[in-house]
Amino acid sequence: MKIRSVIWGIVAAGCTLTIAFSPPASAAVSDEDFNALKKLVTEQGQKIDQLEKTNALDQQQIQQLQQQLGQTQTVATNAAQKVETLSQIQPTYPLPNPTAGATHNFMVVGDAEVQFGKTAGQHSGFALADFAPIFLFRANDNVLFEAGFDTTLQNAGGPPGTGGGANTSFSMSFGQLDYLLNDYVTVIAGDMLLPLGTYNERGAGWLNKIPDAPLLDDQLIPGSGIGAQLRGAVPVGEGGQSLTYAVYGANGPGSVDGTGNALQASGAPNLDLGGNVGILGDGTQQNLHSNPSGGGRIGWFYPWKLHHDIELGISGQSGEWDDAGNHLWSAAVLDAAVHLGPYVEIKGEYANTWYGTDDSGTIHPHGVWVQAGYKLAGLNLNLPLVNDVELVGRYDNLNDGLGTKTDRYTGGFVYYLNNTLWFEGDYEYLSSHGPAGLPPNDFILQLSYGF
Amino acid sequence: MKANRNHTEKLFSVVRRFLTAGAGVTTIAGVVYMASCHTSAAGDTNAPVAAASIPKATDPKTTAKPDKKVEAQPKRELSGAELYAIHCNRCHAERYPAEFTDGQWKTLMTHMRVRANLPAKQARLILDYLQDESGHY
Repeated sequence: MKIRSVIWGIVAAGCTLTIAFSPPASAAVSDEDFNALKKLVTEQGQKIDQLEKTNALDQQQIQQLQQQLGQTQTVATNAAQKVETLSQIQPTYPLPNPTAGATHNFMVVGDAEVQFGKTAGQHSGFALADFAPIFLFRANDNVLFEAGFDTTLQNAGGPPGTGGGANTSFSMSFGQLDYLLNDYVTVIAGDMLLPLGTYNERGAGWLNKIPDAPLLDDQLIPGSGIGAQLRGAVPVGEGGQSLTYAVYGANGPGSVDGTGNALQASGAPNLDLGGNVGILGDGTQQNLHSNPSGGGRIGWFYPWKLHHDIELGISGQSGEWDDAGNHLWSAAVLDAAVHLGPYVEIKGEYANTWYGTDDSGTIHPHGVWVQAGYKLAGLNLNLPLVNDVELVGRYDNLNDGLGTKTDRYTGGFVYYLNNTLWFEGDYEYLSSHGPAGLPPNDFILQLSYGF
Repeated sequence: MKANRNHTEKLFSVVRRFLTAGAGVTTIAGVVYMASCHTSAAGDTNAPVAAASIPKATDPKTTAKPDKKVEAQPKRELSGAELYAIHCNRCHAERYPAEFTDGQWKTLMTHMRVRANLPAKQARLILDYLQDESGHY
Protein backbone atom coordinates (compact mmCIF):
# COMPACT_ATOMS: atom_id res chain seq x y z
CA MET A 1 0.00 0.00 0.00
CA LYS A 2 2.82 2.35 0.94
CA ILE A 3 4.79 1.42 -2.15
CA ARG A 4 1.78 2.15 -4.33
CA SER A 5 1.43 5.64 -2.88
CA VAL A 6 5.11 6.38 -3.48
CA ILE A 7 4.79 5.26 -7.07
CA TRP A 8 1.76 7.51 -7.67
CA GLY A 9 3.57 10.39 -6.08
CA ILE A 10 6.61 9.93 -8.35
CA VAL A 11 4.34 9.78 -11.38
CA ALA A 12 2.51 12.97 -10.40
CA ALA A 13 5.76 14.83 -9.77
CA GLY A 14 7.07 13.69 -13.14
CA CYS A 15 4.01 14.99 -14.91
CA THR A 16 4.24 18.31 -13.14
CA LEU A 17 7.88 18.82 -14.01
CA THR A 18 7.22 17.81 -17.61
CA ILE A 19 4.51 20.46 -17.94
CA ALA A 20 6.47 23.15 -16.14
CA PHE A 21 9.71 22.81 -18.01
CA SER A 22 8.48 21.92 -21.46
CA PRO A 23 9.97 24.54 -23.99
CA PRO A 24 7.48 26.80 -26.01
CA ALA A 25 6.93 25.80 -29.54
CA SER A 26 7.44 29.37 -31.10
CA ALA A 27 9.88 31.03 -28.69
CA ALA A 28 12.48 31.60 -31.41
CA VAL A 29 12.53 35.15 -33.20
CA SER A 30 14.01 35.48 -36.61
CA ASP A 31 16.36 38.35 -37.62
CA GLU A 32 13.85 39.55 -40.12
CA ASP A 33 11.15 39.99 -37.47
CA PHE A 34 13.60 41.64 -35.13
CA ASN A 35 14.68 44.19 -37.75
CA ALA A 36 11.06 45.01 -38.66
CA LEU A 37 10.27 45.56 -35.02
CA LYS A 38 13.35 47.71 -34.60
CA LYS A 39 12.36 49.82 -37.58
CA LEU A 40 8.86 50.25 -36.19
CA VAL A 41 10.19 51.41 -32.85
CA THR A 42 12.51 53.87 -34.58
CA GLU A 43 9.64 55.37 -36.58
CA GLN A 44 7.52 55.73 -33.45
CA GLY A 45 10.37 57.53 -31.80
CA GLN A 46 10.61 59.97 -34.68
CA LYS A 47 6.89 60.65 -34.55
CA ILE A 48 7.10 61.35 -30.84
CA ASP A 49 9.92 63.80 -31.50
CA GLN A 50 7.78 65.63 -34.09
CA LEU A 51 4.82 65.78 -31.74
CA GLU A 52 7.01 67.19 -28.99
CA LYS A 53 8.25 69.88 -31.38
CA THR A 54 4.67 70.69 -32.43
CA ASN A 55 3.60 70.86 -28.82
CA ALA A 56 6.40 73.31 -28.09
CA LEU A 57 5.23 75.55 -30.95
CA ASP A 58 1.64 75.39 -29.65
CA GLN A 59 2.81 76.38 -26.22
CA GLN A 60 4.56 79.38 -27.69
CA GLN A 61 1.40 80.46 -29.56
CA ILE A 62 -0.70 80.03 -26.42
CA GLN A 63 1.71 82.21 -24.50
CA GLN A 64 1.53 84.87 -27.22
CA LEU A 65 -2.28 84.80 -27.19
CA GLN A 66 -2.31 85.06 -23.42
CA GLN A 67 -0.08 88.10 -23.64
CA GLN A 68 -2.39 89.70 -26.22
CA LEU A 69 -5.44 88.93 -24.06
CA GLY A 70 -3.78 90.58 -21.13
CA GLN A 71 -3.05 93.67 -23.20
CA THR A 72 -6.70 93.79 -24.39
CA GLN A 73 -7.97 93.50 -20.84
CA THR A 74 -5.71 96.32 -19.80
CA VAL A 75 -7.03 98.53 -22.60
CA ALA A 76 -10.64 97.72 -21.70
CA THR A 77 -10.03 98.43 -18.04
CA ASN A 78 -8.42 101.75 -18.88
CA ALA A 79 -11.35 102.66 -21.15
CA ALA A 80 -13.87 101.84 -18.43
CA GLN A 81 -11.91 103.95 -15.96
CA LYS A 82 -11.87 106.82 -18.44
CA VAL A 83 -15.65 106.58 -18.99
CA GLU A 84 -16.24 106.53 -15.26
CA THR A 85 -13.97 109.52 -14.82
CA LEU A 86 -15.72 111.41 -17.63
CA SER A 87 -19.15 110.67 -16.22
CA GLN A 88 -18.10 112.28 -12.94
CA ILE A 89 -17.01 115.46 -14.63
CA GLN A 90 -19.78 118.12 -14.75
CA PRO A 91 -20.10 119.70 -18.20
CA THR A 92 -19.72 123.44 -18.30
CA TYR A 93 -22.92 123.68 -20.38
CA PRO A 94 -25.97 121.37 -20.57
CA LEU A 95 -25.46 118.55 -22.99
CA PRO A 96 -28.15 118.28 -25.66
CA ASN A 97 -30.79 115.72 -24.73
CA PRO A 98 -31.53 113.53 -27.74
CA THR A 99 -35.15 113.11 -26.57
CA ALA A 100 -35.79 116.82 -26.07
CA GLY A 101 -35.39 118.19 -29.55
CA ALA A 102 -38.00 120.45 -31.08
CA THR A 103 -39.10 117.81 -33.56
CA HIS A 104 -39.42 115.29 -30.76
CA ASN A 105 -41.68 117.49 -28.62
CA PHE A 106 -43.79 118.79 -31.47
CA MET A 107 -46.79 116.78 -32.54
CA VAL A 108 -49.78 117.11 -34.78
CA VAL A 109 -52.90 115.26 -33.79
CA GLY A 110 -56.51 115.94 -34.68
CA ASP A 111 -59.13 114.66 -37.04
CA ALA A 112 -60.49 114.92 -40.56
CA GLU A 113 -63.98 114.36 -41.90
CA VAL A 114 -65.79 114.10 -45.19
CA GLN A 115 -69.56 114.44 -45.16
CA PHE A 116 -72.32 113.51 -47.56
CA GLY A 117 -75.72 114.91 -46.71
CA LYS A 118 -79.33 115.17 -47.75
CA THR A 119 -81.52 117.76 -46.09
CA ALA A 120 -85.27 117.94 -46.65
CA GLY A 121 -86.07 120.26 -49.55
CA GLN A 122 -82.48 120.30 -50.81
CA HIS A 123 -80.41 118.22 -53.20
CA SER A 124 -78.09 115.62 -51.76
CA GLY A 125 -74.38 116.08 -52.11
CA PHE A 126 -71.00 115.96 -50.48
CA ALA A 127 -71.51 118.59 -47.86
CA LEU A 128 -68.05 119.38 -46.58
CA ALA A 129 -64.47 118.32 -46.09
CA ASP A 130 -62.96 119.20 -42.76
CA PHE A 131 -59.35 119.05 -41.62
CA ALA A 132 -58.90 119.87 -37.96
CA PRO A 133 -55.30 119.56 -36.78
CA ILE A 134 -54.22 120.18 -33.21
CA PHE A 135 -50.64 121.33 -32.83
CA LEU A 136 -48.94 120.34 -29.60
CA PHE A 137 -45.60 121.69 -28.50
CA ARG A 138 -44.20 120.54 -25.17
CA ALA A 139 -41.56 123.03 -24.12
CA ASN A 140 -40.63 121.02 -21.03
CA ASP A 141 -42.24 118.74 -18.49
CA ASN A 142 -44.54 121.50 -17.25
CA VAL A 143 -45.34 123.64 -20.28
CA LEU A 144 -47.50 122.70 -23.24
CA PHE A 145 -48.79 124.92 -25.98
CA GLU A 146 -51.72 123.57 -27.94
CA ALA A 147 -53.73 125.06 -30.75
CA GLY A 148 -56.57 123.57 -32.74
CA PHE A 149 -57.63 124.70 -36.19
CA ASP A 150 -60.54 123.97 -38.45
CA THR A 151 -60.11 124.07 -42.20
CA THR A 152 -63.38 123.45 -43.96
CA LEU A 153 -64.24 123.34 -47.63
CA GLN A 154 -67.92 123.76 -48.34
CA ASN A 155 -70.35 124.97 -50.93
CA ALA A 156 -70.43 128.74 -51.19
CA GLY A 157 -73.87 128.93 -52.70
CA GLY A 158 -77.03 129.88 -50.90
CA PRO A 159 -80.44 128.55 -51.87
CA PRO A 160 -80.71 126.97 -55.35
CA GLY A 161 -80.17 129.54 -58.06
CA THR A 162 -78.24 131.98 -55.89
CA GLY A 163 -74.75 130.98 -56.87
CA GLY A 164 -72.24 128.22 -56.51
CA GLY A 165 -68.60 127.54 -56.12
CA ALA A 166 -66.92 126.73 -52.89
CA ASN A 167 -65.21 128.53 -50.12
CA THR A 168 -62.65 127.50 -47.59
CA SER A 169 -62.92 128.62 -44.03
CA PHE A 170 -59.99 128.56 -41.67
CA SER A 171 -60.48 129.22 -38.00
CA MET A 172 -58.71 128.65 -34.75
CA SER A 173 -60.85 126.54 -32.45
CA PHE A 174 -58.57 127.14 -29.51
CA GLY A 175 -55.02 128.20 -28.74
CA GLN A 176 -53.85 127.92 -25.16
CA LEU A 177 -50.76 127.71 -23.02
CA ASP A 178 -50.89 125.08 -20.28
CA TYR A 179 -48.59 125.36 -17.29
CA LEU A 180 -48.63 122.39 -14.94
CA LEU A 181 -48.03 124.24 -11.70
CA ASN A 182 -48.16 121.11 -9.53
CA ASP A 183 -50.08 117.86 -9.28
CA TYR A 184 -53.32 119.65 -8.48
CA VAL A 185 -53.25 122.94 -10.38
CA THR A 186 -52.79 123.66 -14.07
CA VAL A 187 -52.76 127.26 -15.23
CA ILE A 188 -54.20 127.90 -18.69
CA ALA A 189 -54.21 131.11 -20.67
CA GLY A 190 -55.32 131.94 -24.17
CA ASP A 191 -58.30 131.07 -26.29
CA MET A 192 -59.60 128.23 -24.17
CA LEU A 193 -62.17 125.57 -24.78
CA LEU A 194 -64.65 126.41 -22.03
CA PRO A 195 -65.57 123.71 -19.53
CA LEU A 196 -69.29 124.38 -19.82
CA GLY A 197 -70.50 120.82 -19.83
CA THR A 198 -68.14 118.34 -21.45
CA TYR A 199 -69.04 118.45 -25.14
CA ASN A 200 -67.01 121.60 -25.76
CA GLU A 201 -63.81 119.82 -24.81
CA ARG A 202 -64.65 116.32 -26.04
CA GLY A 203 -66.74 116.95 -29.12
CA ALA A 204 -64.24 116.81 -31.96
CA GLY A 205 -65.47 115.08 -35.12
CA TRP A 206 -63.50 111.97 -34.32
CA LEU A 207 -64.86 111.80 -30.77
CA ASN A 208 -68.51 112.48 -31.43
CA LYS A 209 -70.39 109.38 -32.53
CA ILE A 210 -72.97 111.42 -34.42
CA PRO A 211 -71.80 113.58 -37.34
CA ASP A 212 -73.27 116.83 -36.08
CA ALA A 213 -73.22 118.50 -32.68
CA PRO A 214 -76.12 118.72 -30.27
CA LEU A 215 -78.25 121.80 -30.87
CA LEU A 216 -77.46 123.42 -27.56
CA ASP A 217 -73.71 123.18 -28.06
CA ASP A 218 -74.00 124.88 -31.39
CA GLN A 219 -76.29 127.66 -30.32
CA LEU A 220 -76.73 127.94 -26.58
CA ILE A 221 -73.33 128.05 -24.92
CA PRO A 222 -69.98 129.39 -26.16
CA GLY A 223 -67.39 126.85 -27.24
CA SER A 224 -64.31 128.88 -26.40
CA GLY A 225 -63.34 132.16 -24.85
CA ILE A 226 -60.24 134.26 -24.35
CA GLY A 227 -59.08 134.36 -20.76
CA ALA A 228 -57.31 132.41 -18.06
CA GLN A 229 -58.20 129.27 -16.20
CA LEU A 230 -57.14 127.16 -13.26
CA ARG A 231 -58.02 123.49 -13.35
CA GLY A 232 -57.03 120.24 -11.79
CA ALA A 233 -58.08 116.94 -10.34
CA VAL A 234 -57.85 115.40 -6.92
CA PRO A 235 -57.77 111.61 -6.76
CA VAL A 236 -60.07 110.00 -4.22
CA GLY A 237 -58.73 106.67 -3.00
CA GLU A 238 -56.79 104.28 -5.19
CA GLY A 239 -59.66 103.04 -7.34
CA GLY A 240 -59.49 105.72 -10.02
CA GLN A 241 -62.12 107.97 -8.50
CA SER A 242 -61.48 111.70 -8.73
CA LEU A 243 -62.93 115.12 -8.17
CA THR A 244 -62.20 117.70 -10.84
CA TYR A 245 -62.50 121.44 -10.92
CA ALA A 246 -62.04 124.33 -13.32
CA VAL A 247 -62.45 128.05 -12.70
CA TYR A 248 -61.90 130.69 -15.32
CA GLY A 249 -62.34 134.25 -16.33
CA ALA A 250 -63.03 135.08 -19.97
CA ASN A 251 -64.22 138.03 -22.01
CA GLY A 252 -67.58 136.34 -22.33
CA PRO A 253 -70.35 136.99 -24.83
CA GLY A 254 -70.81 140.28 -26.60
CA SER A 255 -73.43 142.19 -28.50
CA VAL A 256 -73.30 142.26 -32.29
CA ASP A 257 -74.49 145.84 -32.57
CA GLY A 258 -73.36 146.90 -29.14
CA THR A 259 -76.83 147.52 -27.78
CA GLY A 260 -78.72 145.51 -25.22
CA ASN A 261 -81.58 144.76 -27.60
CA ALA A 262 -82.64 141.17 -28.17
CA LEU A 263 -82.54 141.45 -31.96
CA GLN A 264 -80.47 143.36 -34.46
CA ALA A 265 -82.13 145.61 -37.01
CA SER A 266 -82.01 142.68 -39.45
CA GLY A 267 -84.04 140.56 -37.06
CA ALA A 268 -81.14 138.25 -36.24
CA PRO A 269 -80.27 137.61 -32.58
CA ASN A 270 -78.01 140.23 -31.07
CA LEU A 271 -76.26 137.99 -28.57
CA ASP A 272 -72.81 136.93 -29.82
CA LEU A 273 -71.57 134.02 -27.76
CA GLY A 274 -68.06 133.77 -29.18
CA GLY A 275 -67.26 137.08 -30.83
CA ASN A 276 -65.88 139.01 -27.90
CA VAL A 277 -62.21 138.34 -28.54
CA GLY A 278 -60.96 141.67 -27.26
CA ILE A 279 -59.61 143.16 -30.47
CA LEU A 280 -61.73 145.82 -32.10
CA GLY A 281 -61.93 146.62 -35.79
CA ASP A 282 -59.85 149.78 -35.36
CA GLY A 283 -56.98 147.81 -33.88
CA THR A 284 -57.49 148.80 -30.27
CA GLN A 285 -57.53 146.02 -27.79
CA GLN A 286 -60.15 146.01 -25.13
CA ASN A 287 -63.06 144.10 -23.87
CA LEU A 288 -66.32 145.06 -25.56
CA HIS A 289 -67.77 145.66 -22.12
CA SER A 290 -66.13 146.62 -18.89
CA ASN A 291 -66.08 143.35 -16.98
CA PRO A 292 -65.17 139.80 -17.98
CA SER A 293 -67.30 136.77 -17.32
CA GLY A 294 -66.51 134.20 -14.69
CA GLY A 295 -67.28 130.53 -14.76
CA GLY A 296 -66.29 127.06 -13.72
CA ARG A 297 -67.11 123.40 -13.47
CA ILE A 298 -67.00 120.81 -10.71
CA GLY A 299 -67.03 117.18 -11.68
CA TRP A 300 -67.01 113.78 -10.02
CA PHE A 301 -65.74 110.66 -11.75
CA TYR A 302 -66.33 107.27 -10.23
CA PRO A 303 -65.29 103.98 -11.88
CA TRP A 304 -66.64 101.07 -9.87
CA LYS A 305 -64.93 98.52 -12.09
CA LEU A 306 -63.20 98.44 -15.46
CA HIS A 307 -65.37 99.99 -18.18
CA HIS A 308 -68.08 100.77 -15.65
CA ASP A 309 -68.06 104.38 -14.56
CA ILE A 310 -70.14 107.47 -14.04
CA GLU A 311 -69.21 111.11 -14.40
CA LEU A 312 -71.35 113.96 -13.17
CA GLY A 313 -70.62 117.63 -13.56
CA ILE A 314 -72.17 120.98 -12.96
CA SER A 315 -70.86 124.12 -14.58
CA GLY A 316 -71.83 127.70 -15.13
CA GLN A 317 -70.79 131.09 -16.39
CA SER A 318 -72.03 134.61 -15.85
CA GLY A 319 -71.01 138.06 -17.08
CA GLU A 320 -72.00 141.17 -18.94
CA TRP A 321 -72.87 140.84 -22.59
CA ASP A 322 -73.93 144.30 -23.84
CA ASP A 323 -71.40 147.10 -24.37
CA ALA A 324 -72.94 149.27 -21.66
CA GLY A 325 -72.62 146.45 -19.16
CA ASN A 326 -76.24 146.76 -18.08
CA HIS A 327 -77.22 143.14 -18.58
CA LEU A 328 -75.84 139.78 -17.59
CA TRP A 329 -75.71 136.63 -19.63
CA SER A 330 -75.67 133.53 -17.44
CA ALA A 331 -75.61 129.80 -18.05
CA ALA A 332 -75.93 126.70 -15.91
CA VAL A 333 -75.06 123.32 -17.37
CA LEU A 334 -75.55 119.85 -15.94
CA ASP A 335 -73.66 117.00 -17.60
CA ALA A 336 -73.61 113.25 -17.04
CA ALA A 337 -71.92 110.27 -18.67
CA VAL A 338 -72.28 106.60 -17.81
CA HIS A 339 -70.42 103.55 -19.14
CA LEU A 340 -71.98 100.18 -18.36
CA GLY A 341 -69.40 97.76 -19.65
CA PRO A 342 -67.33 98.20 -22.78
CA TYR A 343 -70.41 98.27 -25.00
CA VAL A 344 -72.88 100.71 -23.43
CA GLU A 345 -72.47 104.45 -23.17
CA ILE A 346 -75.02 107.06 -22.17
CA LYS A 347 -74.32 110.73 -21.84
CA GLY A 348 -76.08 114.02 -21.99
CA GLU A 349 -76.21 117.66 -21.02
CA TYR A 350 -78.86 120.07 -19.87
CA ALA A 351 -78.20 123.78 -20.33
CA ASN A 352 -80.23 126.63 -19.02
CA THR A 353 -79.25 130.20 -19.95
CA TRP A 354 -80.80 133.59 -19.38
CA TYR A 355 -79.87 137.15 -20.24
CA GLY A 356 -81.44 140.55 -19.78
CA THR A 357 -82.23 142.88 -22.66
CA ASP A 358 -83.20 146.50 -23.09
CA ASP A 359 -86.35 145.78 -25.04
CA SER A 360 -87.54 142.24 -24.34
CA GLY A 361 -86.95 141.65 -20.66
CA THR A 362 -85.15 138.45 -19.65
CA ILE A 363 -84.73 135.93 -22.42
CA HIS A 364 -84.46 132.33 -21.38
CA PRO A 365 -82.90 129.93 -23.94
CA HIS A 366 -82.51 126.35 -22.78
CA GLY A 367 -81.98 122.89 -24.18
CA VAL A 368 -81.05 119.31 -23.46
CA TRP A 369 -79.51 116.33 -25.21
CA VAL A 370 -79.24 112.68 -24.28
CA GLN A 371 -77.23 110.23 -26.37
CA ALA A 372 -76.87 106.47 -26.04
CA GLY A 373 -74.63 104.04 -27.87
CA TYR A 374 -74.47 100.26 -27.90
CA LYS A 375 -71.64 98.28 -29.52
CA LEU A 376 -73.01 95.15 -31.14
CA ALA A 377 -69.89 93.24 -30.11
CA GLY A 378 -71.70 92.90 -26.80
CA LEU A 379 -74.12 90.45 -28.41
CA ASN A 380 -71.27 87.94 -28.87
CA LEU A 381 -72.48 87.02 -32.34
CA ASN A 382 -68.94 86.45 -33.56
CA LEU A 383 -69.71 88.15 -36.86
CA PRO A 384 -66.87 90.47 -37.88
CA LEU A 385 -69.02 93.04 -39.67
CA VAL A 386 -71.61 93.16 -36.91
CA ASN A 387 -69.01 93.24 -34.16
CA ASP A 388 -67.56 96.45 -35.56
CA VAL A 389 -70.85 98.36 -35.48
CA GLU A 390 -72.13 100.64 -32.75
CA LEU A 391 -75.72 101.82 -32.82
CA VAL A 392 -76.32 105.33 -31.54
CA GLY A 393 -79.39 107.38 -30.78
CA ARG A 394 -79.86 110.91 -29.57
CA TYR A 395 -82.67 113.16 -28.50
CA ASP A 396 -82.06 116.86 -28.22
CA ASN A 397 -84.14 119.97 -28.07
CA LEU A 398 -83.59 123.69 -28.07
CA ASN A 399 -85.69 126.65 -27.15
CA ASP A 400 -83.85 129.78 -28.24
CA GLY A 401 -86.02 132.05 -26.14
CA LEU A 402 -86.87 134.08 -29.20
CA GLY A 403 -89.79 131.99 -30.42
CA THR A 404 -88.15 129.00 -32.05
CA LYS A 405 -88.49 125.55 -30.52
CA THR A 406 -86.88 122.45 -31.97
CA ASP A 407 -87.09 118.79 -31.03
CA ARG A 408 -84.74 116.45 -32.86
CA TYR A 409 -84.66 112.65 -32.86
CA THR A 410 -81.54 111.04 -34.28
CA GLY A 411 -80.77 107.41 -35.02
CA GLY A 412 -77.52 106.23 -36.53
CA PHE A 413 -74.54 103.93 -36.55
CA VAL A 414 -70.78 103.95 -36.37
CA TYR A 415 -68.81 101.34 -38.28
CA TYR A 416 -65.30 101.07 -36.91
CA LEU A 417 -62.95 100.33 -39.79
CA ASN A 418 -60.19 100.42 -37.18
CA ASN A 419 -59.54 102.29 -33.96
CA THR A 420 -59.07 105.62 -35.74
CA LEU A 421 -61.13 105.39 -38.94
CA TRP A 422 -64.91 105.43 -38.62
CA PHE A 423 -67.79 105.43 -41.04
CA GLU A 424 -70.84 107.07 -39.52
CA GLY A 425 -74.36 107.68 -40.65
CA ASP A 426 -77.52 109.05 -39.13
CA TYR A 427 -81.06 110.07 -39.90
CA GLU A 428 -82.52 113.03 -38.04
CA TYR A 429 -86.18 113.82 -37.66
CA LEU A 430 -86.90 117.36 -36.52
CA SER A 431 -89.98 119.11 -35.24
CA SER A 432 -89.02 122.75 -35.44
CA HIS A 433 -91.29 125.77 -35.20
CA GLY A 434 -90.59 129.48 -35.13
CA PRO A 435 -88.75 132.18 -37.04
CA ALA A 436 -85.50 130.18 -37.05
CA GLY A 437 -87.11 126.81 -37.69
CA LEU A 438 -85.03 123.99 -39.16
CA PRO A 439 -85.87 121.58 -42.03
CA PRO A 440 -87.95 118.53 -40.99
CA ASN A 441 -85.31 115.90 -41.63
CA ASP A 442 -81.69 115.36 -42.43
CA PHE A 443 -79.56 112.42 -43.52
CA ILE A 444 -75.80 112.47 -43.05
CA LEU A 445 -72.99 110.07 -43.90
CA GLN A 446 -69.51 110.82 -42.64
CA LEU A 447 -66.05 109.34 -42.81
CA SER A 448 -64.00 110.36 -39.78
CA TYR A 449 -60.34 109.87 -39.15
CA GLY A 450 -58.55 110.63 -35.91
CA PHE A 451 -54.80 111.02 -35.94
CA MET B 1 -93.64 141.65 -4.69
CA LYS B 2 -94.89 140.32 -7.99
CA ALA B 3 -91.39 140.60 -9.40
CA ASN B 4 -90.03 138.59 -6.48
CA ARG B 5 -92.67 135.94 -7.02
CA ASN B 6 -91.78 135.74 -10.70
CA HIS B 7 -88.14 135.43 -9.83
CA THR B 8 -88.86 132.63 -7.36
CA GLU B 9 -91.06 130.84 -9.85
CA LYS B 10 -88.30 131.10 -12.44
CA LEU B 11 -85.78 129.71 -9.98
CA PHE B 12 -88.05 126.78 -9.17
CA SER B 13 -88.56 126.23 -12.87
CA VAL B 14 -84.83 126.01 -13.40
CA VAL B 15 -84.35 123.63 -10.50
CA ARG B 16 -87.26 121.52 -11.71
CA ARG B 17 -85.71 121.24 -15.15
CA PHE B 18 -82.39 120.18 -13.66
CA LEU B 19 -84.05 117.52 -11.56
CA THR B 20 -86.14 116.32 -14.48
CA ALA B 21 -83.10 116.02 -16.70
CA GLY B 22 -81.14 114.23 -13.98
CA ALA B 23 -83.99 111.82 -13.30
CA GLY B 24 -84.35 111.13 -17.01
CA VAL B 25 -80.69 110.30 -17.47
CA THR B 26 -80.69 108.11 -14.36
CA THR B 27 -83.79 106.21 -15.48
CA ILE B 28 -82.40 105.56 -18.95
CA ALA B 29 -79.09 104.48 -17.43
CA GLY B 30 -80.86 102.06 -15.11
CA VAL B 31 -82.96 100.50 -17.86
CA VAL B 32 -80.03 100.07 -20.23
CA TYR B 33 -77.87 98.69 -17.46
CA MET B 34 -80.40 96.04 -16.54
CA ALA B 35 -80.91 95.16 -20.17
CA SER B 36 -77.20 94.85 -20.81
CA CYS B 37 -76.19 92.96 -17.67
CA HIS B 38 -76.39 89.48 -19.18
CA THR B 39 -74.43 90.44 -22.28
CA SER B 40 -71.78 92.61 -20.68
CA ALA B 41 -70.89 90.09 -18.00
CA ALA B 42 -70.28 87.39 -20.59
CA GLY B 43 -68.62 89.51 -23.18
CA ASP B 44 -66.48 91.77 -21.05
CA THR B 45 -63.21 90.23 -22.06
CA ASN B 46 -61.45 93.47 -21.35
CA ALA B 47 -62.20 93.30 -17.66
CA PRO B 48 -60.71 90.10 -16.30
CA VAL B 49 -59.92 91.64 -12.94
CA ALA B 50 -63.40 92.98 -12.50
CA ALA B 51 -65.06 89.77 -13.65
CA ALA B 52 -62.94 87.69 -11.34
CA SER B 53 -63.83 89.85 -8.38
CA ILE B 54 -67.56 89.14 -8.66
CA PRO B 55 -68.53 86.25 -6.38
CA LYS B 56 -71.17 83.91 -7.79
CA ALA B 57 -74.30 83.63 -5.63
CA THR B 58 -74.57 79.89 -6.25
CA ASP B 59 -70.99 79.20 -5.35
CA PRO B 60 -71.12 77.24 -2.06
CA LYS B 61 -67.67 78.45 -1.12
CA THR B 62 -68.85 82.03 -1.05
CA THR B 63 -72.40 81.55 0.20
CA ALA B 64 -71.84 78.99 2.93
CA LYS B 65 -68.77 80.47 4.59
CA PRO B 66 -67.87 84.00 3.74
CA ASP B 67 -64.13 84.41 3.87
CA LYS B 68 -63.51 87.40 6.09
CA LYS B 69 -59.89 87.59 5.02
CA VAL B 70 -60.91 88.04 1.42
CA GLU B 71 -63.54 90.63 2.33
CA ALA B 72 -61.06 92.57 4.39
CA GLN B 73 -58.52 92.89 1.58
CA PRO B 74 -57.63 96.54 1.07
CA LYS B 75 -58.23 98.03 -2.36
CA ARG B 76 -55.03 97.80 -4.36
CA GLU B 77 -53.74 100.65 -6.44
CA LEU B 78 -54.84 100.49 -10.07
CA SER B 79 -52.12 99.83 -12.59
CA GLY B 80 -51.30 102.08 -15.51
CA ALA B 81 -52.92 99.60 -17.89
CA GLU B 82 -56.15 99.61 -15.90
CA LEU B 83 -56.22 103.39 -15.66
CA TYR B 84 -55.56 103.56 -19.39
CA ALA B 85 -58.57 101.31 -20.02
CA ILE B 86 -60.73 103.32 -17.63
CA HIS B 87 -59.93 106.83 -18.81
CA CYS B 88 -59.14 106.69 -22.52
CA ASN B 89 -62.30 104.80 -23.45
CA ARG B 90 -64.45 107.51 -21.92
CA CYS B 91 -64.07 109.67 -25.02
CA HIS B 92 -62.37 107.74 -27.79
CA ALA B 93 -61.17 104.36 -28.96
CA GLU B 94 -57.91 103.24 -27.38
CA ARG B 95 -54.73 104.00 -29.27
CA TYR B 96 -52.13 101.26 -29.45
CA PRO B 97 -49.00 102.01 -27.40
CA ALA B 98 -46.77 101.27 -30.39
CA GLU B 99 -48.41 104.04 -32.43
CA PHE B 100 -46.24 106.69 -30.80
CA THR B 101 -42.73 107.04 -29.41
CA ASP B 102 -41.72 107.67 -25.82
CA GLY B 103 -41.47 111.41 -26.32
CA GLN B 104 -44.69 111.61 -28.28
CA TRP B 105 -46.55 109.78 -25.54
CA LYS B 106 -45.19 112.27 -23.03
CA THR B 107 -46.51 115.17 -25.09
CA LEU B 108 -49.83 113.45 -25.67
CA MET B 109 -50.30 112.59 -22.01
CA THR B 110 -49.58 116.18 -21.02
CA HIS B 111 -52.28 117.21 -23.47
CA MET B 112 -54.72 114.60 -22.20
CA ARG B 113 -54.00 115.35 -18.55
CA VAL B 114 -55.16 118.92 -19.19
CA ARG B 115 -57.99 118.14 -21.60
CA ALA B 116 -59.56 115.29 -19.64
CA ASN B 117 -58.56 116.77 -16.28
CA LEU B 118 -56.81 113.58 -15.17
CA PRO B 119 -55.18 113.37 -11.74
CA ALA B 120 -51.43 113.85 -12.15
CA LYS B 121 -50.44 110.56 -10.53
CA GLN B 122 -52.85 108.58 -12.69
CA ALA B 123 -51.60 110.35 -15.80
CA ARG B 124 -48.03 109.39 -14.88
CA LEU B 125 -48.99 105.73 -14.39
CA ILE B 126 -50.71 105.69 -17.77
CA LEU B 127 -47.67 107.31 -19.36
CA ASP B 128 -45.36 104.71 -17.81
CA TYR B 129 -47.56 101.94 -19.15
CA LEU B 130 -47.69 103.41 -22.66
CA GLN B 131 -43.95 104.02 -22.76
CA ASP B 132 -43.20 100.51 -21.52
CA GLU B 133 -45.52 98.98 -24.07
CA SER B 134 -44.22 101.16 -26.88
CA GLY B 135 -40.80 99.59 -26.46
CA HIS B 136 -39.11 102.85 -25.38
CA TYR B 137 -38.09 103.80 -28.87
